[in-house]
Amino acid sequence: MNLDDLTRTSGEWLRGSGPESDIVMCSRIRLARNIATYPFTNRASRGDKTEIEREVKAAIAKSGADLFYQDVHVLNPLDRQFLVERQLISRELMAAEGPRGVAIGPQENLSIMVNEEDHLRIQVMHSGLSLNEVWEQITLLDDRLEETLDYAFHSQMGYLTACPTNVGTGIRVGVMLHLPALVQTRDIEKVFRALQKINLAVRGLYGEGTQAFGDFYQISNQQTLGKSELEIIRTISDVIPQVIDYERRARKDLLENSRQGLHDRVSRAYGVLKTAHQISSEETMHLLSSVRMGINLGLIDDLEIPTVNELFIHTQPAHLQKIQGRHLEVDDRNLARAQYLRSRLSNGRHQSN
Amino acid sequence: MLCQKCKREATVHMREAIDGVVREVYLCLECAQDQGVVVPKTPGGLPLESVLQKFVTAHLGELVGELARRRCPCCRMSYMEFRANGRLGCPNDYTTFESGLLPMIKQSHSATRHVGKRPQRHCKNGPELIRLRTALGHAIDDQNYEEAAQLRDAIRDALKDALS
Repeated sequence: MNLDDLTRTSGEWLRGSGPESDIVMCSRIRLARNIATYPFTNRASRGDKTEIEREVKAAIAKSGADLFYQDVHVLNPLDRQFLVERQLISRELMAAEGPRGVAIGPQENLSIMVNEEDHLRIQVMHSGLSLNEVWEQITLLDDRLEETLDYAFHSQMGYLTACPTNVGTGIRVGVMLHLPALVQTRDIEKVFRALQKINLAVRGLYGEGTQAFGDFYQISNQQTLGKSELEIIRTISDVIPQVIDYERRARKDLLENSRQGLHDRVSRAYGVLKTAHQISSEETMHLLSSVRMGINLGLIDDLEIPTVNELFIHTQPAHLQKIQGRHLEVDDRNLARAQYLRSRLSNGRHQSN
Repeated sequence: MLCQKCKREATVHMREAIDGVVREVYLCLECAQDQGVVVPKTPGGLPLESVLQKFVTAHLGELVGELARRRCPCCRMSYMEFRANGRLGCPNDYTTFESGLLPMIKQSHSATRHVGKRPQRHCKNGPELIRLRTALGHAIDDQNYEEAAQLRDAIRDALKDALS
């Protein structure tokens, strides 16, 4: 496998299946881990980072996990951005310096970032609401790696991390939700306030500090110490169905009270995406969000959810340039994006790649 | 507003609330320095860190001042550096800066004790290896190759100990 192969596929988490997948895009868990015998990444020398990378690669090989290791240090900026858009690396790893990389699992369900803020950031992601399956997979991989690696651990403080906000379990449990109806009815703020009261964070599609493009929101835990991994998962698992229920009720209200208006909005969005000749990434996300909701409400019947999910990612700047095989400035990207959307959305029923 | 001590133009305004009673103080720079309210004049060219340390000691007392001066013997990070960039330098910092970290951790996690998964393995000489590796990084930066070679040998020995 190499990066160019990835442009022809998409991650399992985009397949639009699994429980509650009309609203839940994917479930994700990440674990922050450090090796006890090295300074944290921000204090590690170049030589240390090389050694850390070597140790982690050896541990992965020994674990028997089928992972492809991509050295991020040698990648050009476009390829790094491409991995960010695919949710395989963070913006921090993209922008960092020195030896670093990412191990990627089959179907992109799994990735291990090396030399990010912590030596290891292990991530598992599944489509739909499936936190228990995600936990089973990630804890098993964590155990396997620990057979080789000496994790930094303190009997009272738990797994030690570069930032004290992750200390303890080092876990972040997140669910990515598509909430267009709550955005439209403006009830989304109420939901956010309620979540913040119980110490849950709400973020946009690309994590901390990013805007909620396409009405996608990630809900995740903030506290990592004092509760077990399973308790943290349970808290999120208990709260997500309530948010889903709110979104469904808002959709039902929109259908009952303004069906014509909603149908018109969805159809116009679909029409623009199928016919535009230049379109920005932001407008694309906004319109795809309406189309996605339209499919789930039965207002569009000739398009599949996985195709829409994939288009959210494949119309991002780096993806577009990788697919086109050349560097494109903003104006050219807007032309190429519109052309790509027309080709993917024309001619009747559409399948994902 | 005039200085409450000498009636010159006041440039320092301090407001404090003690048991619900609010007290406001206006002072000129010289009187504020005499009172220890602001940092006394420091010779030019001092690194920011030491200016900050003086400031911390002047305002929060010697106990916090001592914490601000503390430096990890393994990764050589100081507490002030941690407070400036929010990232710790190595696992040993949790021990070195414990008195400063615990209140912070308690506030953000509402807890101070780990519950959950624990690794099976336990590494004994982590801090020693970090100390050696940090020293090696500095020796290389300083082009002190003789010391670097000795440190490499010491790291190799420490790794052997870890495996035995």
